[in-house]
Amino acid sequence: MTSLAPRTVDPARPYAQGEKGGRRRRVVPLIPGGFRWIIPALVISVGLIYYSIVYSGYISFFDWRGGRSPMNPIGFDNYVEAFTDPVFWTAIRNTVVYFVVVFAVQVIGGVFFAAALHSKVFLGSLYKVIIVIPVVVAPATLAPAHIQVWQSNGTVNAILESIGLGALTQSWIGQSTTSLMVVILVGCWGSIGFGFILYFGAMTQIDPEMIEAGRVDGAGNLRILFSLVLPNVKAITISLAILNLITALKLFDNVWLITQGGPAHSSEFLGTMIYSEIAASDRNLGYASALSVILLVIAVATSILIQLRSRERRAKVTKAVKAGVDV
Amino acid sequence: MNKSRFLTAAGVVAIAAISLTACAGGAGGDADAAPADSGEVTWWGWTPDTPVAERYIAAFNEEYPDITVTYRNFENVDFRNTIVPALESGKGPDVFDLSAAGGTPDLWGPYAIDLAPLAEDTLGDDWESKFGGGYAEQLRTTDGTQVSLPLGGMSAGFVWYNQGIFDEAGAAVPTDYDSWVDACQKIEAIGKTCFTMGAGGEDTFPTEMYHAIANSVDPDFFLAAATGKAKWDDPEGVEVLQIIEDMKDDGIISSNALDAGQYPLANEAFMKGEAAMVQMGFWYTQYSGSESCKSAMESAGVSEPQCFVQLPAEFPDVAGQGNGSVPFGEVDYGLAINADSKNIGAAKTFVTWMTMSEAGQQNVANAIDLLPALQGVAPDWSAISLVDEDVQQPAIEQLIADSTATTQSRQWQTTSSTLDAIVVAIQQVLDPTIDLSVEDIAAQLQQSSEASAVGVK
Repeated sequence: MTSLAPRTVDPARPYAQGEKGGRRRRVVPLIPGGFRWIIPALVISVGLIYYSIVYSGYISFFDWRGGRSPMNPIGFDNYVEAFTDPVFWTAIRNTVVYFVVVFAVQVIGGVFFAAALHSKVFLGSLYKVIIVIPVVVAPATLAPAHIQVWQSNGTVNAILESIGLGALTQSWIGQSTTSLMVVILVGCWGSIGFGFILYFGAMTQIDPEMIEAGRVDGAGNLRILFSLVLPNVKAITISLAILNLITALKLFDNVWLITQGGPAHSSEFLGTMIYSEIAASDRNLGYASALSVILLVIAVATSILIQLRSRERRAKVTKAVKAGVDV
Repeated sequence: MNKSRFLTAAGVVAIAAISLTACAGGAGGDADAAPADSGEVTWWGWTPDTPVAERYIAAFNEEYPDITVTYRNFENVDFRNTIVPALESGKGPDVFDLSAAGGTPDLWGPYAIDLAPLAEDTLGDDWESKFGGGYAEQLRTTDGTQVSLPLGGMSAGFVWYNQGIFDEAGAAVPTDYDSWVDACQKIEAIGKTCFTMGAGGEDTFPTEMYHAIANSVDPDFFLAAATGKAKWDDPEGVEVLQIIEDMKDDGIISSNALDAGQYPLANEAFMKGEAAMVQMGFWYTQYSGSESCKSAMESAGVSEPQCFVQLPAEFPDVAGQGNGSVPFGEVDYGLAINADSKNIGAAKTFVTWMTMSEAGQQNVANAIDLLPALQGVAPDWSAISLVDEDVQQPAIEQLIADSTATTQSRQWQTTSSTLDAIVVAIQQVLDPTIDLSVEDIAAQLQQSSEASAVGVK
């Protein structure tokens, strides 16, 4: 039996002694030495994840209700249906709005609290715990509380009544104009803590001498924050942008638990659309798969775009710095 | 082969074996197996609740002590998402619930054996006529396979009211639109909600109100539109939406209707005694029981429940054309036997007893949450304890008679797309921030709906 598997090579001694004559020759392994040990993980990840993605792409070209029901090939009809469905575009619009608002609030809130708690603040540790708690509590646990806050006879309306603003009370969850706002506010509430954790950690890595040098040069707190701290945590901001985008595209739990995408689809997201297609009594797995593929393409394409843009900017900055040095 | 290479090969083989085992379907059961007197049966369903199922099983075991039945209850959506992969992988139950809604017989039917021969052996050649109207037909696939036998029927299209609140308010149970407005004014005056309704989310409960109002406008309209013989934006459809808008403007429908779905919003408001009326189906009859009402109130958040007298009433004739509003109903669900089951003999015995024996159906009748599927079986009132028997028993008997007599299906002939479109239309009517005329909403409903071909002759 011919085997392509390499002989065991001591990584510390890449050149092994030849069996005859002792001539040193390089053993070029066809398969990396540790490959066999990652085979199980590779099989599982490829099998379960990438196979599922490919299979979703495959069934997106069928009218299929799952199980042993007939699979009728319909070409790109599911994609055409998605792109001509007004609810799909509502979901896309809601995703963009959610991403922009939550990302902005997360960055501003995260930087603000991280910068503030890097100073010596009274009861700083307590504030850290309070800020981080929303990150660790499961949405399913909090959803009933959020509903209680925003429903017609809930906390927000009670507060408005008590301060003489009864005219502003309304059905926050049960109106098309405000249901998305409730979902976004709940998202913001949970996201600031995550931004804080990352920014706080990143700020810890900034060289104190650089800050000190800034102070010696007469920079105030705000100047240090914007000119020294923020440029040094830019990688975190880019990571948060990508993570928020993916979160917005996949958003399901809070929306489903609070508004179920309603009323009249006003707070619909791609995640809730996909779930509705799968969970309905006349399941439409082909259409749900087409939506999932669209979601995947948007997520991957936008993540790559954000990465490329950040690299371009980094290259420009490096070029500008080099040019400055040359001058 | 050296040791590491052996380990690698062993690992790959083990993973492949596990994967193949996990993906393997069932080996196939014997559909012709004779009913057996012993064995083990697993039963999965979204209904009944576990305590009710345990009562059914205990009664079954009095007759068949050597058959062990294990019931597993799922939340409705979880059941739909669990059952197909389980059946596909050969890990499914021996017996499972199968409803008529949304073309379910065609979707899950391929996993079930044909139960027509069993029904014929048990009830004779005219077995189909022994079941309630249309129940057996509703559980057949389009190719005519009887994939499930009916356990019970369900009806809707009426309201339940709290007698105590009406008495306190000095209001009469409404029979038409004007008397409903009048009753609501009196009930609101004592600080109670008149009619609680949850139309938020994606629940299809609001479609029952639409159907009830449509029956008041024109008893033939709803099913005609559902099956494509009429349009949802015909004058009758516009009138239905206009009545819903009027009900909102005149205070019949409360302003928080879109805060959540019928469950929990409306159920809790009614069970807590905060609301005088709610629209629920026949399943609500069970809460007339002197014990079950307590557990229902506790589930709604009442700490020390004091049961109240709840009674069914016909949906008010809101269109005022003298049509009344007839209830509508169909088979609620049936029991199917997994074609890959290794226990088909015992499963047949269980399904036969539950669906086709008088003893099994008497259990269903006495639970008063379903209409018994087998004709001629009625609740044994001596075994049922109500909160106020003198008032509730005749009302429930009338409800059973009306429900059994109905010829209108509930959701069997309405596609899921249409049900969703009706829900959205009602939400658009009730949402004060949506500026669309009822004509425009009706037109959108027509555009989003999909006509059903089920049961169309």
